[in-house]
Amino acid sequence: MAYEALDFYDVDSLLSEEERMVRDMVRDWVDEEVIPNIENACREGLFPDEWRVALGEMGVLGAPLKGYGCPGLSYAAYGVICRELERGDSGLRSFASVQGSLAMYPIWDFGSEEQKNHYLPKMASGEWIGCFGLTEPDYGSNPGDMITKAEDKGDHYLINGAKMWITNGTIAEVAVVWAKLDGVIRGFIIEKNDPGFSAPEMKGKHSLKASVTSELVFQDCKIPKDRMLPGVKGLRGPFSCLNNARFGISWGALGSAQACFDSAKEYAMSRIQFNHPIASYQLVQNKLAWMLREITKGQLLAYHLAQKKDAGTWIPEHISLAKMNNVDIALEIARVARDIHGANGILDEYPIMRHMANLESVKTYEGTHDIHNLIIGRHITGIQAFTREA
Amino acid sequence: MNIAVLLKQVPDTTAKIIISGGKVDENSVSKWSMSPYDEYALESGLQMKEKNGGALIAITCGPDRSKKMLTDAAAVGADTLVHISDEGVSDSTHVQQLLAAAIMKYEADVVLCGKQAADTNAGSTGPGVAEILEATCVTLVSEVNYTDGKYITMRPSNTGSEKVSTQGTSVFAFDKGTVELRRPNVRGIMMAKKKNIESITSSDLDVNLNNSNINLDSQMPPPEKAAGQKFEGAEHVSTVVSKLRNEANVI
Amino acid sequence: MMNFTIIAETNGENLHPTTYQLIGAASSIGSKSIVICPNGKAESEAASIEGVEKVISVVGDCFDIFDGGAWSTALNTVCEGKILISASPNGREIGARLAAKRNIPIIQDIVSISEGIIVKRPIYSGKAVETLTVSGDAVITLRPNAFEAAELGGAAPINTVNQSADIKISIQEAINKASERLDVTEADIIISGGRGMGTIENFSHLEDIADIVDAAVGASRAVVDEWGMPHRMQVGQTGKTVTPSLYIAVGISGAIQHLAGMRSSKYILAINKDPDAPIFGVADYGIVATWEEAIPALKSALSELKS
Ligand SMILES: Cc1cc2nc3c(=O)[nH]c(=O)nc-3n(C[C@H](O)[C@H](O)[C@H](O)COP(=O)(O)OP(=O)(O)OC[C@H]3O[C@@H](n4cnc5c(N)ncnc54)[C@H](O)[C@@H]3O)c2cc1C
Ligand SMILES: Cc1cc2nc3c(=O)[nH]c(=O)nc-3n(C[C@H](O)[C@H](O)[C@H](O)COP(=O)(O)OP(=O)(O)OC[C@H]3O[C@@H](n4cnc5c(N)ncnc54)[C@H](O)[C@@H]3O)c2cc1C
Repeated sequence: MAYEALDFYDVDSLLSEEERMVRDMVRDWVDEEVIPNIENACREGLFPDEWRVALGEMGVLGAPLKGYGCPGLSYAAYGVICRELERGDSGLRSFASVQGSLAMYPIWDFGSEEQKNHYLPKMASGEWIGCFGLTEPDYGSNPGDMITKAEDKGDHYLINGAKMWITNGTIAEVAVVWAKLDGVIRGFIIEKNDPGFSAPEMKGKHSLKASVTSELVFQDCKIPKDRMLPGVKGLRGPFSCLNNARFGISWGALGSAQACFDSAKEYAMSRIQFNHPIASYQLVQNKLAWMLREITKGQLLAYHLAQKKDAGTWIPEHISLAKMNNVDIALEIARVARDIHGANGILDEYPIMRHMANLESVKTYEGTHDIHNLIIGRHITGIQAFTREA
Repeated sequence: MNIAVLLKQVPDTTAKIIISGGKVDENSVSKWSMSPYDEYALESGLQMKEKNGGALIAITCGPDRSKKMLTDAAAVGADTLVHISDEGVSDSTHVQQLLAAAIMKYEADVVLCGKQAADTNAGSTGPGVAEILEATCVTLVSEVNYTDGKYITMRPSNTGSEKVSTQGTSVFAFDKGTVELRRPNVRGIMMAKKKNIESITSSDLDVNLNNSNINLDSQMPPPEKAAGQKFEGAEHVSTVVSKLRNEANVI
Repeated sequence: MMNFTIIAETNGENLHPTTYQLIGAASSIGSKSIVICPNGKAESEAASIEGVEKVISVVGDCFDIFDGGAWSTALNTVCEGKILISASPNGREIGARLAAKRNIPIIQDIVSISEGIIVKRPIYSGKAVETLTVSGDAVITLRPNAFEAAELGGAAPINTVNQSADIKISIQEAINKASERLDVTEADIIISGGRGMGTIENFSHLEDIADIVDAAVGASRAVVDEWGMPHRMQVGQTGKTVTPSLYIAVGISGAIQHLAGMRSSKYILAINKDPDAPIFGVADYGIVATWEEAIPALKSALSELKS
């Protein structure tokens, strides 16, 4: 049955026809190929390779990037793609976010012409999967203190260190890894078969089960000199990637929220207790009304942010606000939806617990909820509160 | 080879139909889609074009909103998009005249369409257009191939199915086929957006629409179903079967 | 008095029951029928139906295989005025061709006719019904089984006209195949079984019924989970959502999750031994009986109907 999205304020009518066509394409694919198979993928803990192929064929990877075989869509289209994918599963959206915003984007923005021509077309087509290595076992919210380092050995670089929590790591052909060269953070392109590089998978996740998460281990990993991204130094590199990915999450989370709302609404209408559908009770209606209210606000936030992205009038704090808010409400909506489903809510028959568990990761990655609070707090007060040191 | 595919935009088959003032309220339709059988015609047309070369001309006759569907067709590979303004005509004979005139204007060699559109479910268009074109028509086909100057197609028969062939201008009305429908992709969508839709009217086509001698009096919700009837015991099975035939008309 | 031209449809050597219904429909508004029998098939049967004024047999080689173009060309020579045909696939095609040839409107698949002439036809798959007034000549096709059949009792004259037309379709190969079992999402009729069927082997009885009426076979979740029936057959909230014209539920209690997948079916027939089973709450027709008693009776009633 064709999916009719909750769009109380007709926000999607503000999209261009092209953006809506992209939406429908992804939406139909998610309905036909993802939703029927997602529980199985989660149970087996794998990211189905057909999904990589399909995303490449649809041509949505690296959505807002132009040239080098990339789609060249608007940020609004990118947002819509994320939303539709995440209605299926946050793990699927994570795959696309990492590929497009975290792996392709730095090559596109900071790479040499040769690097762009070599990597981007194959990544846009889905042939090569990319990953992004910033977080380390001991450095999460403060990546600036990372210890992974690169040494200039004349005709090559030598990388040593370890990254953790790296989405797509084990299945990636290409890793964009941030490491310190003479104390300055630089981006390096590591290929799967580079000597001294390995990417063991992390097992046992209760969240994003259909997404591959890995460690990246560098033991005297030797790479040619032309693998450093020439165009950026310092934290600006990884942070500009994160801005794009966070933007996508601010839309994506709404997809999860909608899936939970849809399921809760349907359940409430059909579940009879005390002789009447539970949807007929005020307390339940209050919950549904609250969900609709938050989703609608989130949609307006996300849409306006996309306009600012496309117009170039955004600042990172705008993105922090949207990421923080929309993930927060999505998670709360998942919890309320679970409540409405009663015991059924804990079953994998319903998408609720899966979205809820996924959103716990989404709340943490790409800057935790509170880190975004601190970013906005700094914007308001002019005082940074990340650390006691100046 | 010029392949014309006739497409109609209809309310999505899952959409609610709301009636107000004795007419179906088209504004309340939440989603308009390409009629499902037309999708098979389009897919077969695309495959025929890929195998034999040529151009695929997507033609629709309908209100302005149906242009969107032509763009959807372009996103999967339609080359020429033709929108015939329906000028409020609803008599299917008139629609057939307009479609046939457009088919001639664009010099199509073969015409593919759905066996019926999911709104009226009538099934008049394919054979009616064929009549005007003086063309051969095969209905309920599931696939069409063009080889050695012949169109080879499968249609159902009393005993299963039969492979039939036609020559010359032919019209094929598609049932749901076995072919897998292609998805659009971003590149197709971007190209489709740039593609011009040729809008034409009955006067461009030199078609004089005479007055119709049918008048639409009203559209109403279907009659309320009677309350359920329950029978005790298997001896009532034959009664129920005759009710299924005579009251419900479902067998 | 007005006459209708009726194109007869045959079933082997006999008239198809719908031909009686076409004549019945004409009679119901006080009109006589002129019945055209392609290739003269069943002409004397047609002549003996009440309300038939004349039978015209159109005889020609073109009737050997079905080519709507050739048939309509041959038949058109004897058609007049308002034309009634069955809304079968062939009837619709001939009707559309005749209408285009004669430059008159066509109204397909009507379910009622009254004087005026006022006709009704379902649109949007039955989600609405349209009423039309026909003020001149037109071709009208009638939904099978929606009209009262005319009775035997008449002796109309039979005229024979030799008229053929060029056949443009050639048959390359006939493929006899047992029609494949439809998927539940495609079928117009579904027969589903539940735990009340006792064992998975007993589904063969439902298969038999499905063969007769060209139905798909579905199942409740209980049967899928506990007896290993393929999941694609499951109807319900976590299975397929279906909207056939007729849904037959056998030994299914009617849990809310099952109803979620089938309650929008146009008609529902429930067979269950428990008179209080909730499935009866949504059923248009309910039979309180065990399947062991009801299914054989259903099988013979349906085969009789179909023969
Ligand atoms: C499934 C998954 C996939 C991931 N994929 C990737 C990837 O592809 N690439 C990558 O580089 N990383 C990835 N990450 C890592 C992610 O970005 C980090 O987990 C995140 O940055 C938080 O770091 P941390 O887990 O070390 O938590 P910490 O930084 O240790 O934070 C723990 C808690 O302390 C709070 N906190 C920290 N500092 C402060 C402060 N100054 N004031 C107040 N509160 C504070 C945080 O808000 C949080 O609540 C992924 C994580 C997950 C769960
Ligand atoms: C989250 C969730 C999702 C679900 N999704 C679905 C779904 O998609 N589809 C689905 O079907 N169910 C679903 N269910 C299961 C549903 O709740 C019921 O358990 C299930 O439909 C029962 O199947 P049943 O009617 O075959 O069995 P029962 O409820 O056991 O009913 C058997 C019926 O057979 C009758 N019977 C017994 N013997 C005979 C006989 N000899 N002749 C005639 N009648 C007889 C009995 O009177 C009884 O009414 C779901 C449940 C949950 C919790």
